[in-house]
Amino acid sequence: MRRRQLLALSAGALAAPALITKPARAAVETRELNGYRIRTFSGPSGAGLHDVACNADGTVWATGQRDGTLVLLDPRDGGLKAVKLGTGASPHGVVVGPDGAAWVTEGGQNAIARVDGKDHRVQIWKLNGGPSYANLNTPVFDKQGVLWFTGQSGIIGRFDPKSEKMQVWEAPRGAGPYGIAATPQNTVWYVSLAGNYLAEIDRTAGTPRLVEPPTPQQGARRVWSDSQGRLWISEWNSGQVSVHDPKAGNWKSWKLPGNRPRCYAVYVDERDAVWLTDFAADAIVRFDPKTETFLSFPSDKSGCNVRQLAGRPGETWGAESGTTRIVAIDKLRA
Amino acid sequence: MRLLIIAAALLAAAGAARAQPCNTAAFEPCKACHALSLDAGQKPGPQLTGLIGRKVAGDPAFDYSPALRAARDKGEVWTKERLDLFFSDPEALYAGTWMGSPPIRDPQQRADLLCLLTGQ
Repeated sequence: MRRRQLLALSAGALAAPALITKPARAAVETRELNGYRIRTFSGPSGAGLHDVACNADGTVWATGQRDGTLVLLDPRDGGLKAVKLGTGASPHGVVVGPDGAAWVTEGGQNAIARVDGKDHRVQIWKLNGGPSYANLNTPVFDKQGVLWFTGQSGIIGRFDPKSEKMQVWEAPRGAGPYGIAATPQNTVWYVSLAGNYLAEIDRTAGTPRLVEPPTPQQGARRVWSDSQGRLWISEWNSGQVSVHDPKAGNWKSWKLPGNRPRCYAVYVDERDAVWLTDFAADAIVRFDPKTETFLSFPSDKSGCNVRQLAGRPGETWGAESGTTRIVAIDKLRA
Repeated sequence: MRLLIIAAALLAAAGAARAQPCNTAAFEPCKACHALSLDAGQKPGPQLTGLIGRKVAGDPAFDYSPALRAARDKGEVWTKERLDLFFSDPEALYAGTWMGSPPIRDPQQRADLLCLLTGQ
């Protein structure tokens, strides 16, 4: 058996004052469907929007993978700001940290980036000593305030903002680590798209414990925890959503509606409703685990390609990478 | 005689250039979703064996985005030039492509990737 290797240990940030492009205003469109309100906000042209994260003050971050920015939307007035992350930047994932800052898996610079929540100053911590291109994917914080992340080139890692200590490990089966999630029980899990597995990371040793989904070659792309610590997984190859209960050790799967669905993203809201995206249907889909039924919200445009979902109570958010729009769905109030 | 020596040197140089191996590291960002061999099993993206000269959206085992299917229906074929354009900004060439890779701005990186895909 090949010995797992610690690939990198690094510290020391590169800091830069905020470079913010000229503020703009998003075009906002609102429509209603299935008893929900759908709002779309046009993002900066050419940004290549990818992942989103919701701030406590109501604003929303979105990564601009194509132009190397982190975009801040204020849904109340459509205000848009774009923070430049540096030369060669190509951010993929974003999460809001316990410090109120945006933390970004910044693939272009092979680094973890922090954008301050107030002054938008950018700090960069490179993966010194690790792979030159980890293809950084998604970040998540555990309850101790440690950032865990994946890299599709075949790594998982952690970064402690307090000590600025970074550790990177090789992942089993090589390339593929994609989505990552923390549970209310403070466990950390990730999925490997190319490796076709779910894994729990030992938060002390960094060792992953693999859990094989029942569907072979399913293409587990993203993962999110519900309130009970069950892991919900969007499966790209099989077009299914699956759930794994670590306590019971069991699995259950459902195929999304339509002809050959392509399930890309998953997010579980505060009521344990499961939100998914389906590229084949150009839709965001709500799955109710109690009734085991799907409710579809097709986009009003083709090629929308929502690659990640997030939210806050009552609101589900994503970015249409193909149309450069940020989208929000919330329940209509009576 | 001198001309013969120069010609031989040029031929040798050309041969050496052809023998230069491709930079396999260029495929690192792609390997999580694509394979360069037919026996690699199911991947999240289409397999890339014999890509040059193949129709766009031409892997029968893969269902493609409407954007790439539309290009196939128009008869578009993968050439070195089209691939170079695609790598330089996938979304600009085929808006709505399912492939989520960022643009490859570095011409050398694109050339390395083309070397691997074309064998030259």
